[in-house]
Amino acid sequence: MTRRGAIPPVLRRALAAPGGRCYRHCDRPIRTRRLASRLPGAWQVRACPSGVVSVTVYTEWTRRDPTKAVREELRRWTVPASLVRRWDLRLATRHGPELGRAAERFLAAQRPRRGVRVVYWRVYPFRGRDGKERRLFVCARTAHRSPVFFAALSSGPTPECPVCARRR
Amino acid sequence: MAKPVAPTSSRRPHRLTIVLAPWCPHCVPLSVTNGRRLAKRLRVPLRILDIDHRAQEKAADRLVRAYGDGAPDYLIPQVFLEWTDGTVEHLLTGFSEQVPRTARAWRDLFASDWLRSVVKAVPR
Repeated sequence: MTRRGAIPPVLRRALAAPGGRCYRHCDRPIRTRRLASRLPGAWQVRACPSGVVSVTVYTEWTRRDPTKAVREELRRWTVPASLVRRWDLRLATRHGPELGRAAERFLAAQRPRRGVRVVYWRVYPFRGRDGKERRLFVCARTAHRSPVFFAALSSGPTPECPVCARRR
Repeated sequence: MAKPVAPTSSRRPHRLTIVLAPWCPHCVPLSVTNGRRLAKRLRVPLRILDIDHRAQEKAADRLVRAYGDGAPDYLIPQVFLEWTDGTVEHLLTGFSEQVPRTARAWRDLFASDWLRSVVKAVPR
């Protein structure tokens, strides 16, 4: 571990949530992808193979509430930034007893005590002015330094990321 | 942030509360069933606060904002243990990733050192 707030392997294992299917979109298996960021915690985006985001998860081992920093980071990654709304960010605290014995004992032995704080960003499908349904997509191509979140029509071919489109 | 606490001679578990909504698959039946089981092990009554029920919503909001994971549209379920000395301990918040992950959290809570120590100290 190098950064304060980074998630040690014992907690990373305890917090893992593999599996799941893309709900009400394509029913294909969800892939979990890690994202790099300047924040000390760990980012994961759970998305289907087409890029439809189920949920984006930020986890930090800390006493403080990281929601504000998470919101700022997400606004930098999202086109337009107004897609990141306060009420779509939800905080969860993991104390230890609900994480399995290894994580419980690890957290109980730490001084000062800190829990694990998780911020979920979930954008539910919404209708645009044209009445068509839109969902949140993510493009994590290495062509841009950070991931790009954007909203697009959920039916039809996989939409192109606005940053990639600008570069062509 | 709440930390796991154990009973002493002057304090015992008093009541278990689950903040939930009936349409949430992490809540019903999963957390209601497990909440009943946990309340039985702790020998305390179970209180359910339904956020869609106007009168219960206010109590739920107060509990979550004061002791739980507050947010403009907070996560459910959230589980709290109230103690006889007035302290309130936040035990669990549902895992937004998927329902089986919340089920695993309940299983881990039942197998935890914390629960063992609390149950051991609760007078029969």
